[in-house]
Amino acid sequence: MLENIPLNDILKILLVLVLVTSSLVLWQRSLTSLFKTYALQSLLVALVAMVFFINDGHLTLLFIALLTLFGKVFLIPRILNRILLQMNIRRDLEFRFLYPVSSLIVSILLIFGVYQVFSNLMGEVMPDRLFFLGAVIGVSMALMGMMVIFSRKKMLTKIVGYLSMENGAILFGLFVAELPFILEILVLIDLVILVLLVTVLAFGIDSTIEDFHPRFTPLGEWFKKK
Amino acid sequence: MENLILAAYILPSVLLGGILLGMRLFRGSMSPGILAGFSLGHGLWHLGLSLWVLLVLPLPHYFMESRYLFVDQLGIFQVLIASVVFILAALYSRGYVSHLLSNKELDIENLPVFYIGFNLLLSVITFAFFSNNLALFWLFLELSTLFSALLIATLNARDNLVAALKYIFIASTAMIFAFIGLIILFSLTRQAGSPGTLNWDELASLAPLLSPSVLGLSALLILTGLLAKSGLVPLHNWLPAAYAKAPSVVTALMSATVLNIGIVGILRLSALLRQSQIGETFSNVLVGFGILSIGVAAFSMLSRRNLKKLVGFSSIEHMGIMLLAIGIGTPLAVFWMLFHTLAHSLVKSGLFFSAGIIRRQYGSDRFDRIFDIFRLQPVAAWGVIMGSAAIVGLPMFPVFLSELNILIQLGGVSVWLVLMVLFFLLLVASSFAIFLLKAFTRSEKNTDRPVFRTPLSMKLPIYIIMAGVVFLGVCQPQMLADFLNQIVKGLGF
Repeated sequence: MLENIPLNDILKILLVLVLVTSSLVLWQRSLTSLFKTYALQSLLVALVAMVFFINDGHLTLLFIALLTLFGKVFLIPRILNRILLQMNIRRDLEFRFLYPVSSLIVSILLIFGVYQVFSNLMGEVMPDRLFFLGAVIGVSMALMGMMVIFSRKKMLTKIVGYLSMENGAILFGLFVAELPFILEILVLIDLVILVLLVTVLAFGIDSTIEDFHPRFTPLGEWFKKK
Repeated sequence: MENLILAAYILPSVLLGGILLGMRLFRGSMSPGILAGFSLGHGLWHLGLSLWVLLVLPLPHYFMESRYLFVDQLGIFQVLIASVVFILAALYSRGYVSHLLSNKELDIENLPVFYIGFNLLLSVITFAFFSNNLALFWLFLELSTLFSALLIATLNARDNLVAALKYIFIASTAMIFAFIGLIILFSLTRQAGSPGTLNWDELASLAPLLSPSVLGLSALLILTGLLAKSGLVPLHNWLPAAYAKAPSVVTALMSATVLNIGIVGILRLSALLRQSQIGETFSNVLVGFGILSIGVAAFSMLSRRNLKKLVGFSSIEHMGIMLLAIGIGTPLAVFWMLFHTLAHSLVKSGLFFSAGIIRRQYGSDRFDRIFDIFRLQPVAAWGVIMGSAAIVGLPMFPVFLSELNILIQLGGVSVWLVLMVLFFLLLVASSFAIFLLKAFTRSEKNTDRPVFRTPLSMKLPIYIIMAGVVFLGVCQPQMLADFLNQIVKGLGF
């Protein structure tokens, strides 16, 4: 529980902003804007971790904030942008099952659904309202990210959906219980590796047929004799 | 000493990675034969080490102060299965990968990536089975997805990329929910007065003190991830595509070992929840998903034209049978479930090795492309026939024993469920019979079709598996039965 009232208010503002970025991820068509939105969302998650660090002083929280900042605000969006530069696509216009308006309506329903389930089940575990709200928003973000994966066509958009899901899980962890330091770090590193691989593979899928080349894999390129 | 054991397990993969990176710097290269030989050596080293651990270390044995890693009977049993399948796969890869290269299906530049991924997959599988901590287990499960997907994607085909990405997205999306479940479980243990733990052994003692409803939510979320990793319905969609597109040697390894990680996770979770108030409800959920998986797989197999897809759906069916046995939860059901993992791993790898030879011969896995198989590829033909007979559970094969005993145990739950499962198993057997009749009875007038000269390295694993499967079917060593009984007892069933 946060004793400090201004920190409490800052957390509330950050949570609202995180939710806004999640809904932006759902319907943005321009891929560069999508990556920027993701970087902003990650920055907000890093700030939430920083607020907790200022309040608790646990070094794990500081490391989560710094890793999120370095990995997800700078590194991953940069990699995604570099891949995008090599492709002949700029926008992802295709939607499946859910279109922007309907996906927003479903998201709102999801948030209410998660709130209801958590009110019944998690109330006893989390008596603090703000922490409860943080947990609800974390899980809702994960579900909204999943909606992006299922409703968008381009792999790069799906990757941002997955990353958004993962931000939701991290946010949930910050509000419910942070895992021991070594596990948190390993999990974050694993996710970065996973995203790197998926991004590399996505290059072969999202690029146009003319661009698709058997030696698409930068990993393989690396081993190629010069 | 303790850390040396763990280091010894990871050493060959690190060594290979180091050598290949070093060679890259000095512009050198390694032939596929040497890489396959190295992998074979890795497998033998791994098997020897695992046998040493089994015979010398008192089990369960915990590593490090945090007890994040441990070796128990269940873990070492699965690691031994993985070692044997890996050795056979490494042997098989010698001829198989060379043909992929000569056929331009695999680029020579991707060869080091393939073998690094192949060897690292064994290390990751091993550490997943050795994880006492659920978060660490989660991490190794994720890494197993990563390396499997990398191996699927090394072939030069767009379809392989699609299959690899589908696998990653379905498995990893489900695993995010499992991660949320882990955090809930961790916070629950804090509420129960502990400083917070995700270690299996500590969770077992805390389980009766945890709030049943929140524990149920956490268990369902964790189960979501594990269902996806085991290829169980409703999160099975990735499996047929990934199996059909992956190189056969990778499919064999995935089917025989990677799927087992998920099912072992479910077994441990079920053993844990039996200590709590929601144990019975959770068991019913497992029985439900088990029967659903068997049913969906059985109906999906009816119209299959592709051999690897057919065998892939059969994996979903068998994972369903294992889940059903865990759900039944009697000591005998769990005993035969463990026996089933061994039998399934062996038979399935043999089937995929045979399918790999067929693919090399005909350039396809579809039944309508297969002609004169007994003349062109007799070993593969008999491998598929025997594998199919074994996998559908004909008498004299080990799957028959495990399926029969699991069904007898299911009879204690409901006779109707037994009849339903029997009907599904009949559909599965019919699907295999129809496929074999269609594919293996065709001949063509044009007899000058080029023959793929199957190297001994690709035939030998099939012979070894055939011998092993027949042996397990007709005589079950007492030593194995005692060992499985120890596992069942250790889990608390």
